[in-house]
Amino acid sequence: MCKWCTQHGIGKKWYMNARNYSDQLADEHNLQEYLTEQWMNFEAVYIRKIAGLSSKGLGYKLQMPLIGKILRWTVERMIHGTVRNPKPIRADGHIGQVIPMEDAQIILSELAAEPIVETYCMCRKMQRGINYQSCINFGVLSEVLEKLPRFIPKERAHRISREEAVERMEEHNKKGLVATVWYQPYPYINAICNCESPECGALRLRNDFDLMIMSKAEYIIDLNQDNCQGCKSCVSMCQWNAIRYIPSIDRVIIDYDKCFGCGVCRHACKHDALKLIPRQEFKGFDGHF
Amino acid sequence: MGKTKIKIDYSKCGPEGKVDPRECAKCLNVCDPCVFLRHEDLKKKEENIYDPQHWKITAIWPSVCTRCFKCVEVCPENAITIKF
Repeated sequence: MCKWCTQHGIGKKWYMNARNYSDQLADEHNLQEYLTEQWMNFEAVYIRKIAGLSSKGLGYKLQMPLIGKILRWTVERMIHGTVRNPKPIRADGHIGQVIPMEDAQIILSELAAEPIVETYCMCRKMQRGINYQSCINFGVLSEVLEKLPRFIPKERAHRISREEAVERMEEHNKKGLVATVWYQPYPYINAICNCESPECGALRLRNDFDLMIMSKAEYIIDLNQDNCQGCKSCVSMCQWNAIRYIPSIDRVIIDYDKCFGCGVCRHACKHDALKLIPRQEFKGFDGHF
Repeated sequence: MGKTKIKIDYSKCGPEGKVDPRECAKCLNVCDPCVFLRHEDLKKKEENIYDPQHWKITAIWPSVCTRCFKCVEVCPENAITIKF
Protein backbone atom coordinates (compact mmCIF):
# COMPACT_ATOMS: atom_id res chain seq x y z
CA MET A 1 0.00 0.00 0.00
CA CYS A 2 1.25 3.47 -0.88
CA LYS A 3 1.61 6.23 1.69
CA TRP A 4 -1.64 7.91 0.65
CA CYS A 5 -3.48 4.69 1.44
CA THR A 6 -2.14 4.60 4.96
CA GLN A 7 -3.16 8.25 5.46
CA HIS A 8 -6.52 8.36 3.71
CA GLY A 9 -7.49 4.80 2.99
CA ILE A 10 -9.14 3.67 6.26
CA GLY A 11 -7.59 0.25 5.66
CA LYS A 12 -8.41 0.28 1.94
CA LYS A 13 -6.83 1.94 -1.07
CA TRP A 14 -6.94 5.75 -0.83
CA TYR A 15 -9.27 6.06 -3.80
CA MET A 16 -11.72 3.59 -2.29
CA ASN A 17 -12.54 5.84 0.67
CA ALA A 18 -15.90 7.54 0.02
CA ARG A 19 -15.03 10.54 2.18
CA ASN A 20 -12.39 11.69 -0.34
CA TYR A 21 -15.16 12.24 -2.89
CA SER A 22 -17.70 14.02 -0.69
CA ASP A 23 -19.10 17.49 -1.38
CA GLN A 24 -18.66 18.12 2.32
CA LEU A 25 -14.88 17.80 1.95
CA ALA A 26 -14.98 20.16 -1.04
CA ASP A 27 -16.92 22.74 0.97
CA GLU A 28 -14.57 22.41 3.92
CA HIS A 29 -11.64 23.42 1.71
CA ASN A 30 -13.63 25.99 -0.30
CA LEU A 31 -12.79 24.17 -3.51
CA GLN A 32 -15.29 25.74 -5.91
CA GLU A 33 -13.20 28.90 -5.96
CA TYR A 34 -9.88 27.07 -5.88
CA LEU A 35 -10.70 24.81 -8.83
CA THR A 36 -12.09 27.66 -10.93
CA GLU A 37 -8.84 29.56 -10.47
CA GLN A 38 -6.80 26.42 -11.20
CA TRP A 39 -8.63 25.38 -14.36
CA MET A 40 -8.77 28.91 -15.80
CA ASN A 41 -4.98 28.93 -15.67
CA PHE A 42 -4.15 25.30 -16.35
CA GLU A 43 -2.43 25.67 -19.73
CA ALA A 44 -0.24 28.40 -18.28
CA VAL A 45 1.01 26.30 -15.37
CA TYR A 46 4.27 25.40 -17.11
CA ILE A 47 5.13 28.89 -18.35
CA ARG A 48 4.14 30.87 -15.29
CA LYS A 49 7.20 31.86 -13.30
CA ILE A 50 7.28 30.57 -9.74
CA ALA A 51 10.03 32.16 -7.62
CA GLY A 52 11.63 33.42 -10.86
CA LEU A 53 11.65 30.03 -12.62
CA SER A 54 9.20 28.50 -15.08
CA SER A 55 9.06 24.89 -16.28
CA LYS A 56 10.37 25.92 -19.71
CA GLY A 57 13.33 23.67 -20.46
CA LEU A 58 12.77 21.82 -17.18
CA GLY A 59 14.75 18.82 -18.42
CA TYR A 60 17.89 20.94 -18.80
CA LYS A 61 17.28 22.83 -15.57
CA LEU A 62 17.09 19.57 -13.62
CA GLN A 63 20.45 18.49 -15.07
CA MET A 64 22.24 21.55 -13.65
CA PRO A 65 24.71 20.54 -10.90
CA LEU A 66 23.43 22.01 -7.62
CA ILE A 67 20.49 24.09 -8.80
CA GLY A 68 18.98 20.98 -10.40
CA LYS A 69 18.94 19.16 -7.08
CA ILE A 70 17.32 22.06 -5.26
CA LEU A 71 14.83 22.51 -8.09
CA ARG A 72 13.86 18.82 -8.00
CA TRP A 73 13.32 18.99 -4.26
CA THR A 74 11.20 22.16 -4.59
CA VAL A 75 9.08 20.79 -7.43
CA GLU A 76 8.49 17.49 -5.61
CA ARG A 77 7.43 19.40 -2.52
CA MET A 78 5.11 21.56 -4.60
CA ILE A 79 3.29 18.80 -6.48
CA HIS A 80 2.98 16.79 -3.31
CA GLY A 81 1.56 20.01 -1.90
CA THR A 82 -0.05 18.57 1.14
CA VAL A 83 0.78 21.99 2.63
CA ARG A 84 -1.96 23.87 4.42
CA ASN A 85 -2.48 26.63 1.85
CA PRO A 86 -2.11 25.16 -1.63
CA LYS A 87 -1.96 27.65 -4.49
CA PRO A 88 -4.28 27.00 -7.44
CA ILE A 89 -2.08 28.56 -10.16
CA ARG A 90 0.79 26.22 -9.27
CA ALA A 91 -1.42 23.13 -9.34
CA ASP A 92 -0.31 22.22 -5.82
CA GLY A 93 -1.46 18.87 -4.54
CA HIS A 94 -2.44 17.61 -8.00
CA ILE A 95 -1.15 14.07 -7.65
CA GLY A 96 -2.48 10.88 -9.14
CA GLN A 97 -2.16 7.15 -9.49
CA VAL A 98 -2.65 4.65 -12.28
CA ILE A 99 -5.62 2.32 -11.72
CA PRO A 100 -6.94 -0.66 -13.64
CA MET A 101 -10.28 -0.43 -15.45
CA GLU A 102 -12.11 -2.45 -12.79
CA ASP A 103 -11.18 -0.03 -10.00
CA ALA A 104 -12.13 2.96 -12.17
CA GLN A 105 -15.52 1.40 -12.80
CA ILE A 106 -16.11 0.85 -9.08
CA ILE A 107 -15.28 4.51 -8.47
CA LEU A 108 -17.61 5.71 -11.20
CA SER A 109 -20.51 3.45 -10.28
CA GLU A 110 -20.33 3.81 -6.50
CA LEU A 111 -18.07 6.54 -5.17
CA ALA A 112 -17.88 9.50 -7.57
CA ALA A 113 -20.02 12.50 -6.60
CA GLU A 114 -22.60 13.68 -9.13
CA PRO A 115 -22.73 15.38 -11.60
CA ILE A 116 -20.35 13.41 -13.84
CA VAL A 117 -19.00 15.06 -16.98
CA GLU A 118 -16.72 13.88 -19.77
CA THR A 119 -14.74 16.82 -21.13
CA TYR A 120 -11.95 17.46 -23.60
CA CYS A 121 -8.58 16.33 -22.28
CA MET A 122 -6.59 19.39 -21.29
CA CYS A 123 -3.19 17.79 -21.85
CA ARG A 124 -3.93 16.65 -25.39
CA LYS A 125 -5.40 20.08 -26.08
CA MET A 126 -2.33 21.99 -24.97
CA GLN A 127 0.41 19.59 -26.06
CA ARG A 128 -1.03 17.91 -29.17
CA GLY A 129 -3.44 20.62 -30.31
CA ILE A 130 -6.40 18.24 -30.58
CA ASN A 131 -9.78 18.00 -28.90
CA TYR A 132 -10.25 14.52 -27.44
CA GLN A 133 -13.14 13.75 -25.14
CA SER A 134 -11.72 11.40 -22.54
CA CYS A 135 -11.48 13.09 -19.14
CA ILE A 136 -14.15 12.02 -16.69
CA ASN A 137 -14.60 14.59 -13.94
CA PHE A 138 -17.05 14.61 -11.09
CA GLY A 139 -18.26 16.46 -8.04
CA VAL A 140 -17.46 20.14 -7.68
CA LEU A 141 -15.09 20.09 -10.65
CA SER A 142 -17.94 19.31 -13.08
CA GLU A 143 -19.67 22.59 -12.35
CA VAL A 144 -16.39 24.48 -12.57
CA LEU A 145 -15.58 22.99 -15.98
CA GLU A 146 -18.99 23.87 -17.36
CA LYS A 147 -18.07 27.52 -16.99
CA LEU A 148 -15.07 27.09 -19.30
CA PRO A 149 -16.24 26.72 -22.93
CA ARG A 150 -12.93 25.43 -24.30
CA PHE A 151 -13.26 22.14 -22.42
CA ILE A 152 -16.89 21.42 -23.32
CA PRO A 153 -17.15 18.87 -26.16
CA LYS A 154 -19.25 19.45 -29.26
CA GLU A 155 -19.50 15.89 -30.60
CA ARG A 156 -21.34 14.17 -27.78
CA ALA A 157 -23.00 15.26 -24.57
CA HIS A 158 -20.66 16.05 -21.70
CA ARG A 159 -23.03 15.34 -18.79
CA ILE A 160 -23.21 11.58 -18.48
CA SER A 161 -24.92 9.12 -16.16
CA ARG A 162 -23.04 6.64 -13.97
CA GLU A 163 -23.82 3.81 -16.39
CA GLU A 164 -22.55 5.83 -19.35
CA ALA A 165 -19.40 6.74 -17.44
CA VAL A 166 -18.70 3.06 -16.75
CA GLU A 167 -19.25 2.25 -20.43
CA ARG A 168 -16.98 5.06 -21.65
CA MET A 169 -14.31 3.92 -19.22
CA GLU A 170 -14.34 0.48 -20.81
CA GLU A 171 -14.31 1.98 -24.31
CA HIS A 172 -11.23 4.11 -23.54
CA ASN A 173 -9.39 1.35 -21.70
CA LYS A 174 -9.88 -1.17 -24.51
CA LYS A 175 -8.48 1.39 -26.94
CA GLY A 176 -5.28 1.37 -24.88
CA LEU A 177 -5.67 4.51 -22.78
CA VAL A 178 -4.46 4.33 -19.20
CA ALA A 179 -6.91 5.13 -16.41
CA THR A 180 -5.59 7.43 -13.70
CA VAL A 181 -7.28 8.85 -10.62
CA TRP A 182 -6.45 12.31 -9.24
CA TYR A 183 -6.30 14.28 -6.05
CA GLN A 184 -7.18 17.80 -7.07
CA PRO A 185 -6.20 19.25 -4.69
CA TYR A 186 -5.12 16.81 -2.00
CA PRO A 187 -7.17 15.20 -0.35
CA TYR A 188 -10.22 15.70 -2.62
CA ILE A 189 -10.65 13.28 -5.55
CA ASN A 190 -12.53 14.56 -8.59
CA ALA A 191 -11.18 13.15 -11.83
CA ILE A 192 -10.40 9.97 -13.70
CA CYS A 193 -8.28 10.67 -16.76
CA ASN A 194 -7.59 8.38 -19.68
CA CYS A 195 -3.95 9.13 -20.36
CA GLU A 196 -1.37 8.29 -22.97
CA SER A 197 2.30 9.03 -23.34
CA PRO A 198 3.78 11.51 -24.31
CA GLU A 199 0.78 13.88 -24.52
CA CYS A 200 -0.07 13.58 -20.83
CA GLY A 201 1.55 16.27 -18.71
CA ALA A 202 1.86 13.96 -15.73
CA LEU A 203 3.46 11.14 -17.71
CA ARG A 204 5.91 13.63 -19.18
CA LEU A 205 7.04 14.66 -15.70
CA ARG A 206 7.19 11.07 -14.44
CA ASN A 207 8.69 9.30 -17.46
CA ASP A 208 11.05 11.97 -18.77
CA PHE A 209 12.00 13.87 -15.62
CA ASP A 210 11.37 11.25 -12.94
CA LEU A 211 9.15 13.53 -10.85
CA MET A 212 6.68 11.63 -8.69
CA ILE A 213 3.49 13.34 -9.84
CA MET A 214 1.93 10.02 -10.82
CA SER A 215 2.33 6.77 -8.92
CA LYS A 216 2.29 3.26 -10.30
CA ALA A 217 -0.84 1.24 -9.62
CA GLU A 218 -1.47 -0.95 -6.58
CA TYR A 219 -1.19 -3.79 -9.09
CA ILE A 220 1.44 -5.18 -11.41
CA ILE A 221 1.16 -7.39 -14.48
CA ASP A 222 2.13 -11.04 -14.25
CA LEU A 223 3.06 -12.87 -17.44
CA ASN A 224 2.34 -16.56 -17.68
CA GLN A 225 5.26 -17.48 -19.92
CA ASP A 226 3.81 -20.86 -20.89
CA ASN A 227 0.57 -19.33 -22.15
CA CYS A 228 2.23 -16.65 -24.30
CA GLN A 229 2.04 -17.59 -28.00
CA GLY A 230 4.16 -14.69 -29.23
CA CYS A 231 1.36 -12.89 -31.12
CA LYS A 232 2.79 -9.48 -30.07
CA SER A 233 -0.66 -7.83 -29.79
CA CYS A 234 0.06 -6.66 -26.25
CA VAL A 235 3.24 -4.83 -27.31
CA SER A 236 1.29 -2.17 -29.18
CA MET A 237 -1.00 -1.55 -26.18
CA CYS A 238 1.68 -0.65 -23.65
CA GLN A 239 2.17 3.07 -23.03
CA TRP A 240 5.26 2.47 -20.89
CA ASN A 241 7.52 0.47 -23.26
CA ALA A 242 7.44 -2.33 -20.70
CA ILE A 243 6.67 -5.18 -23.14
CA ARG A 244 9.04 -6.40 -25.84
CA TYR A 245 8.86 -9.34 -28.23
CA ILE A 246 11.89 -11.62 -28.42
CA PRO A 247 11.96 -13.61 -31.70
CA SER A 248 14.32 -16.41 -30.60
CA ILE A 249 12.10 -17.52 -27.71
CA ASP A 250 8.91 -16.52 -29.54
CA ARG A 251 7.29 -14.80 -26.59
CA VAL A 252 7.17 -11.37 -25.01
CA ILE A 253 9.27 -10.27 -22.06
CA ILE A 254 8.11 -7.77 -19.44
CA ASP A 255 10.22 -5.05 -17.88
CA TYR A 256 8.50 -5.17 -14.48
CA ASP A 257 10.28 -2.04 -13.36
CA LYS A 258 8.61 -0.09 -16.16
CA CYS A 259 5.18 -1.69 -15.66
CA PHE A 260 2.74 0.76 -14.08
CA GLY A 261 0.07 -1.88 -13.56
CA CYS A 262 -2.61 -0.27 -15.72
CA GLY A 263 -3.70 -3.62 -17.11
CA VAL A 264 -4.39 -2.26 -20.58
CA CYS A 265 -2.32 -5.03 -22.22
CA ARG A 266 -4.76 -7.66 -20.91
CA HIS A 267 -7.39 -6.54 -23.41
CA ALA A 268 -5.12 -7.54 -26.31
CA CYS A 269 -4.18 -11.00 -25.01
CA LYS A 270 -6.23 -13.85 -26.45
CA HIS A 271 -4.32 -16.59 -24.64
CA ASP A 272 -4.88 -15.65 -21.02
CA ALA A 273 -1.19 -15.01 -20.47
CA LEU A 274 -1.43 -11.60 -18.80
CA LYS A 275 -2.95 -11.19 -15.38
CA LEU A 276 -2.97 -8.28 -12.92
CA ILE A 277 -1.88 -9.17 -9.42
CA PRO A 278 -1.66 -6.97 -6.30
CA ARG A 279 1.75 -5.29 -6.14
CA GLN A 280 2.45 -6.57 -2.62
CA GLU A 281 2.19 -10.16 -3.87
CA PHE A 282 4.97 -9.55 -6.39
CA LYS A 283 8.23 -10.10 -4.55
CA GLY A 284 10.73 -7.38 -5.37
CA PHE A 285 8.20 -4.78 -6.50
CA ASP A 286 6.19 -4.45 -3.29
CA GLY A 287 6.34 -0.81 -2.24
CA HIS A 288 7.81 0.37 -5.55
CA PHE A 289 5.45 3.06 -6.73
CA MET B 1 24.04 15.64 -26.78
CA GLY B 2 24.20 19.39 -26.26
CA LYS B 3 21.23 21.61 -25.55
CA THR B 4 18.60 22.08 -28.24
CA LYS B 5 17.28 25.63 -28.59
CA ILE B 6 13.90 26.04 -30.25
CA LYS B 7 12.79 29.57 -31.01
CA ILE B 8 9.39 30.74 -32.19
CA ASP B 9 9.07 34.12 -33.90
CA TYR B 10 6.02 35.67 -32.25
CA SER B 11 5.76 38.41 -34.88
CA LYS B 12 4.64 35.59 -37.22
CA CYS B 13 2.67 33.29 -34.90
CA GLY B 14 0.40 34.11 -31.96
CA PRO B 15 -1.60 37.21 -30.97
CA GLU B 16 0.76 39.59 -32.83
CA GLY B 17 1.22 37.42 -35.93
CA LYS B 18 -0.97 36.33 -38.83
CA VAL B 19 -1.60 32.81 -37.59
CA ASP B 20 -3.84 31.90 -34.66
CA PRO B 21 -2.35 28.87 -32.87
CA ARG B 22 -5.85 27.64 -32.05
CA GLU B 23 -6.53 27.03 -35.75
CA CYS B 24 -3.05 26.10 -36.99
CA ALA B 25 -1.33 23.98 -34.29
CA LYS B 26 0.49 22.05 -37.05
CA CYS B 27 3.70 21.95 -35.03
CA LEU B 28 1.91 20.40 -32.05
CA ASN B 29 0.40 17.76 -34.28
CA VAL B 30 3.60 16.86 -36.06
CA CYS B 31 5.87 16.70 -33.01
CA ASP B 32 6.29 13.07 -31.93
CA PRO B 33 7.66 13.77 -28.43
CA CYS B 34 5.22 16.69 -27.77
CA VAL B 35 7.78 19.43 -27.23
CA PHE B 36 5.32 22.29 -27.77
CA LEU B 37 2.75 23.80 -25.47
CA ARG B 38 -0.21 25.93 -26.53
CA HIS B 39 -1.25 28.33 -23.81
CA GLU B 40 -3.05 31.61 -23.26
CA ASP B 41 -0.90 34.74 -23.53
CA LEU B 42 -0.24 35.87 -19.97
CA LYS B 43 0.47 39.47 -21.02
CA LYS B 44 -2.86 40.02 -22.77
CA LYS B 45 -5.94 41.22 -20.92
CA GLU B 46 -8.90 38.98 -21.68
CA GLU B 47 -12.43 40.31 -22.03
CA ASN B 48 -13.93 37.11 -20.70
CA ILE B 49 -11.52 35.41 -18.33
CA TYR B 50 -13.38 32.12 -18.70
CA ASP B 51 -12.86 32.10 -22.47
CA PRO B 52 -9.42 33.52 -23.36
CA GLN B 53 -8.90 34.58 -26.99
CA HIS B 54 -5.15 35.21 -27.15
CA TRP B 55 -3.09 32.05 -27.55
CA LYS B 56 0.53 31.37 -28.29
CA ILE B 57 2.88 28.41 -28.61
CA THR B 58 6.04 27.82 -26.59
CA ALA B 59 8.63 25.07 -27.07
CA ILE B 60 8.39 23.99 -23.46
CA TRP B 61 10.32 20.68 -23.33
CA PRO B 62 13.38 21.18 -25.60
CA SER B 63 15.25 18.41 -23.76
CA VAL B 64 13.03 15.71 -25.29
CA CYS B 65 13.36 17.12 -28.84
CA THR B 66 14.64 14.47 -31.26
CA ARG B 67 15.81 17.07 -33.82
CA CYS B 68 13.71 15.69 -36.63
CA PHE B 69 12.97 19.24 -37.93
CA LYS B 70 9.41 18.27 -38.86
CA CYS B 71 8.05 21.38 -37.08
CA VAL B 72 10.36 23.66 -39.07
CA GLU B 73 9.14 22.08 -42.31
CA VAL B 74 5.44 22.15 -41.42
CA CYS B 75 5.19 25.75 -40.11
CA PRO B 76 3.31 27.82 -42.72
CA GLU B 77 4.95 31.05 -41.52
CA ASN B 78 8.49 29.67 -41.08
CA ALA B 79 8.36 30.92 -37.51
CA ILE B 80 10.35 28.07 -35.90
CA THR B 81 14.14 27.87 -35.76
CA ILE B 82 16.15 25.13 -34.08
CA LYS B 83 19.76 25.53 -32.99
CA PHE B 84 22.09 23.13 -31.27
